Amino acid sequence: MQFYTFDASYISNLCAGDLPTQEHFFGYFSELLQLKLRSRLQSPHAIEDVRQETFVRVFSVLRKGGLRQPERLGAFVNTVCSRVLSEHYRSNSGGKSLNVEGRPELPDKSASALEIVVALQVKDKVREILLDLTPRDRSLLKAVFLDERDRDEVCREFGVERDYLRVLLHRAKQEFKTEYVKRLGNKMPLGENV
Amino acid sequence: MGTEMMDHSEAIQQMAAERYLLNELTPDAREAFEEHLFDCPECALDLRAGVAFVEEAKVQLPKLAGALQAPVTFRSRASKVERGWWHSWLQPAFAAPVLASLLLIIGYQNLVTYPGLRAAANQPRLLPWAPLRGATRGAQLAITADRQHGVALPVDLPQPPSIGAYSSYSFNLNDPQGKLVWTGAVAAPSDEAGGGQRLSLVIPGAMLSNGTYTVRVTGVTAQGERIRIDQYVFDLHLTD
Repeated sequence: MQFYTFDASYISNLCAGDLPTQEHFFGYFSELLQLKLRSRLQSPHAIEDVRQETFVRVFSVLRKGGLRQPERLGAFVNTVCSRVLSEHYRSNSGGKSLNVEGRPELPDKSASALEIVVALQVKDKVREILLDLTPRDRSLLKAVFLDERDRDEVCREFGVERDYLRVLLHRAKQEFKTEYVKRLGNKMPLGENV
Repeated sequence: MGTEMMDHSEAIQQMAAERYLLNELTPDAREAFEEHLFDCPECALDLRAGVAFVEEAKVQLPKLAGALQAPVTFRSRASKVERGWWHSWLQPAFAAPVLASLLLIIGYQNLVTYPGLRAAANQPRLLPWAPLRGATRGAQLAITADRQHGVALPVDLPQPPSIGAYSSYSFNLNDPQGKLVWTGAVAAPSDEAGGGQRLSLVIPGAMLSNGTYTVRVTGVTAQGERIRIDQYVFDLHLTD
């Protein structure tokens, strides 16, 4: 069982190539970067390019000891990503990828048997939550997330306010989160890395 | 890039994770939340769980097509029309029973209630007469009445202590709960009439309930001074 805190020791281990620390770092921030970039970039390749370039630059600064506040590692990664994204917007006229040299090798992400079993358990939990909803609420979620219809239009048709939609999502998320944390671990800096 | 800041309590209060998933945040708010997200493991986990749920829900929802049900208000895009917030109240599933109820109420009022009220207002009625005795003159009186007829209570105004002592008399009626349910006033009788007067206090049946009622009589001088004259207490028993 290992606990991670964004501090000088974490940065040192990361730069030294400690595998568990690197796995945690890439796993934790890859997901956050994916969330940030998918709303801004259409192409999966562009998302991967920006993500990779972000990690390259972060590592470059870390190895030079350039991060003065280790506890602000998260904010630093976010700032670097925003900068890379801006450059991507300026330079991308034909989907040209950024420089790929020097990209750190990402840990192998192929799913283990345990991860496959856990994924199935997560699916079951989502299904259980959806079946607990009224058919109307299921239709509402489908209209918003699957059909990707305009939120205001959907709310008008279903006769609900935007707050209702947020609360519906909040409750479902909260119920799911318990299972999610239990099954997948949280890869938190101050948490157990399963 | 100038962005607003967002701390953890703001992110929770504003349901920033939900708004983020629903793509409701302004660009500045989104950047502020993301900046907070990268430094806040709790919010990061919250959003990750939300994303995982939504992604899996998108896979599951089509499989639950048999368990989906369009609401009565659901309309296809082809028939999309701008409607006010009130329109949902006019949908048949809601409006039909409401209209039926309204018709019943209106019908009852027109066929039963209003004719009854008109009859009560325009026709002579027989009312039981229950002489009251003031509190100074004996035990509490028991009166029987019914809600259809109500009750008529004769009240004797005593002679004033001096000629012209009162310009008017004020009456207060308190119900069994002690609540003041009616006040009334009459001008003082002329001196030629001798000063005393008998009045009838008619209480409609709809106002009546079982219990002890109190009638307080107050003399009001020309200067507005109020002087308690008498108090009548009676126990009312309804037969219906």
